[in-house]
Amino acid sequence: MDLFRKMFGKTSEEASDKEATKPQKSVTPEASETVSPTDGHISDDEGIDPTTQPVSIPPSVSKAPLPKPINDYVTQQLASDMLSTTNSSFITFGQSSDVGLVRSNNQDATMSFFFTSTTADERPDFGVFIVADGMGGHHDGEKASALTAKTITQHMIQNVYLPILTGIDDVPPIAEMMVAAVQKANSEIIKHVPEGGTTVTAVSVLGDLAYIAHVGDSRAYLITKDNLEQITRDHSLVQRLIELDQITQDEVHDHPQKNVLYRALGQNDSVEVDISTRRLPHNSRLLICSDGLWGLVSEKDLFEIAMNNQDPQQACEKLVALASSNGGTDNITVVLLKIS
Amino acid sequence: MPETTQFGNIEEFGGSDGTLKANTILMARYKVLGQLGGGGQGAVYQARDLNFPDAKRLVAIKEMHYASGDPAMRAQSLAAFQREANILATLSHPAIPKIFDFFDQNNRAYLVMEFINGSDLELLLNKTKELPIDKILEWAVDLCDVLDYLHKTEPEPIIFRDVKPANIMIDNHGKVRLIDFGIAKIFVSGVKNTMIGTEGYSAPEQYKGDVNPLSDIYSLGATLHHIITRKDPRLEPPFSFNERPLVNYNTKVPPSLQAVLDKALAMNPADRYQSCAEMKEAFLAVRYRASATPSSGNPSATRAMSSPGTSFFEGAEFDTIKGKMEPRWSFKSEDEIRASPTAMNNLAYVGSYDTNMWAVSLEDGSFRWKYATSGGIASSPFADKNTGLIFFGSEDMNFYALNATTGKIVWSHTTAGRIRSAPTVAHESVFFGSDDGRIYALAASNGRQLWEYDMGAPIRLKPYITDDLVIVGSESGELIGLELSGNRKWNYRLRRAITSSPSVDVVEGVGYVGSSDGYLYAIDISNGYSMWRFRTGGPIISSVAIDGSLLLFGSADCNFYAINSENAKEKWRFTCEKPIVGSPVVHNGYVYFGGTNGVFYCLESKTGKEVWKFETQNAITAQPHIVDKIILVASMDHTLYALPLV
Repeated sequence: MDLFRKMFGKTSEEASDKEATKPQKSVTPEASETVSPTDGHISDDEGIDPTTQPVSIPPSVSKAPLPKPINDYVTQQLASDMLSTTNSSFITFGQSSDVGLVRSNNQDATMSFFFTSTTADERPDFGVFIVADGMGGHHDGEKASALTAKTITQHMIQNVYLPILTGIDDVPPIAEMMVAAVQKANSEIIKHVPEGGTTVTAVSVLGDLAYIAHVGDSRAYLITKDNLEQITRDHSLVQRLIELDQITQDEVHDHPQKNVLYRALGQNDSVEVDISTRRLPHNSRLLICSDGLWGLVSEKDLFEIAMNNQDPQQACEKLVALASSNGGTDNITVVLLKIS
Repeated sequence: MPETTQFGNIEEFGGSDGTLKANTILMARYKVLGQLGGGGQGAVYQARDLNFPDAKRLVAIKEMHYASGDPAMRAQSLAAFQREANILATLSHPAIPKIFDFFDQNNRAYLVMEFINGSDLELLLNKTKELPIDKILEWAVDLCDVLDYLHKTEPEPIIFRDVKPANIMIDNHGKVRLIDFGIAKIFVSGVKNTMIGTEGYSAPEQYKGDVNPLSDIYSLGATLHHIITRKDPRLEPPFSFNERPLVNYNTKVPPSLQAVLDKALAMNPADRYQSCAEMKEAFLAVRYRASATPSSGNPSATRAMSSPGTSFFEGAEFDTIKGKMEPRWSFKSEDEIRASPTAMNNLAYVGSYDTNMWAVSLEDGSFRWKYATSGGIASSPFADKNTGLIFFGSEDMNFYALNATTGKIVWSHTTAGRIRSAPTVAHESVFFGSDDGRIYALAASNGRQLWEYDMGAPIRLKPYITDDLVIVGSESGELIGLELSGNRKWNYRLRRAITSSPSVDVVEGVGYVGSSDGYLYAIDISNGYSMWRFRTGGPIISSVAIDGSLLLFGSADCNFYAINSENAKEKWRFTCEKPIVGSPVVHNGYVYFGGTNGVFYCLESKTGKEVWKFETQNAITAQPHIVDKIILVASMDHTLYALPLV
């Protein structure tokens, strides 16, 4: 079932317009007529008595390490390649969630919020995209996942989006806010849905930088032209055993503890949240999904459907349909960001 | 199976939840006084043995429910229970509660045991702030003893299977007692049982239904790790003990104890101690070493790398003790050196508080030229190959460009404040800040001013120049990204001063800068928003060295940190006795930095392991400079040292 669907995108004219306003790469010579040594004024009452200087913390700071000590220009050429591209990217996205063929209710929740603008203020694009997979009887699972999606979105809008829109110059560190948002969701579940729990994979986008906060076994993948990379780590016992070479991937399916998560929201008063950041390259996809999708659709199919459909909404619907036709044993949820 | 099915027709006998009421008398002998706890498979009661009417003899009675209503299954369970009780009753060890009696009544089985007056370790952990290490070691030895006893039981070893703080009692005499043998199954080799144990403490093979005496060794390791670090393994990723080194949580831990737990907690059973007796010997060795005096426990060999004090200054000839870091040469200026050295075309350059910029031969440290300013030099020089000039500022408020070969002045530029900021040359321009609050951009070749930008507060760091940005911070805590034309692109405000020079990962487009507020900030340099921050215990003056995904920097909290730039998590830290304000340099997998304790360190970048160190006579606040197999190290002992790069 599609909860809602939004698509945003800048036109290519806007993108190229922005390109044109990029800073010149050479220093402007016009501002150079002001060489005015303050004549003879060398030292004053601030006088130079080295013995009175503080000992522990010097006034001077040593030089910053340069990536290549031999020639500054070499590394900066590289920078121009990487950075000049970042201003012109734009994002469209799709979102789809379905109960599947076996379960009677959909305990997954998904929520997307995206802001883009073209103004003189030059505010960066901002978005929050969430997939949460609830657990617990008596509708506690879907209550926990819904509460999580709402709490995180609200926290990020209040603490990051609105300050950026307002233009304040001390917006708190985004990763820290994402972690705080997930921890807040955890406390809300403990308080309001004590019998429920949920996984959460939440992505906040600012400009072309994605912040991925993650607890449980929903997943985020970054898909580029020739690569699909899982950027979250499942907090499941079997995944841990695989990482430690105790069991093989083939042994997972009939492992007695295959559904055991060692970390989820709603389990403890405090929760450790995985957080990472990724630049979103041009022509890439960011896919967020619950295990109802990744458990039933191969990575090869994820890659092909995500990359080969121009419309991310269509890709989401195809992915959900494929998971259903592969069994649909669990709720299926997917969010797909297309970075152009 | 839901637990309610286990309690059939027993309402007439016990409470509504199936537990025995106080004053219930079992077997006409044991008077229940109250419940002690609800174990995995049933309740534990405190009771009085009425066979001793004149003495208050207390016992603990463990009650076990039959899991099945089926009579045949029940008979099987009873037989298993009796077999197990018989074995437990034959055990005789001071750390194992004595078994007095067992019987079954009202479809339940009961085990009558010695009552232990004390507290289990989990409760003790919650009630205390810290448990003394020597006491923990004593318990560890005793636990090895009792587990070894169980493992050597004939005809089959007994595996406890569930060693954890909650199953270890500390009695009123401070001795350990193992409780809850409910799941101590008789070991039958080759038979796979379903997993029984406690997540977090159980060995990896237990998750595969495999269990053997070595699983108890793992669980004992896990238990000790928990009580030393006070990090509950049930709340951490499974099998992640090696990510939580003991010393990070408890500084009193002897290093040898870490090695013992590492071995006990090995993933592969074959890598663990092969018996509890062997593990006990290891704990005894830790105890013996810990009780020895600390000075005698420190072999002098570990100090071989450090310099022997004042002998450096007795002459040009240095002692050549084998293995000691030996300077190729050293050069003594007339005052403290706080700023970093640099080098170009076989000359080394360093500014001193004696007001001079010094140039010495990179070959042998011999004097080549000096240039006297009218103030102390705290600004690190920049040697520019394109113009052949040396750029630096002085506390006399002037910024100087000298001919690098001759030391003759080519041009100078006067600002309205002392200059402690180090310059950067890029795009044929030189960029630096001044205590007058301005950042200056001058043409490198002739000093013609291109622009200035007023930040309103002293600038004492070295600007970082990317292909299109000048990134600078001020003493008021403002960080700005200026376009190369001098127009502001973005700014970000911190609460406290930024003295740490920004470092930029140009590939990722992320800038890193420390602040006096104790945090290291990661800034998205495309828009100036903060990505994350990492907290240390003191001001960060040191700038960051980037080694792949590792960020390396020092803090005034006396630690040198390595953190992962992808998740802002600490990888390792290295503790000195004094603040670290000098910036590090990374070279070929090693990181080099000096501390205000006067010691210059070389550590393995990936691990933080000390490779060598070199002692100077005063604080080091400068960043080292590496050139042609030489590390230039400047110290506030007035001296520039050239150490061989090994």
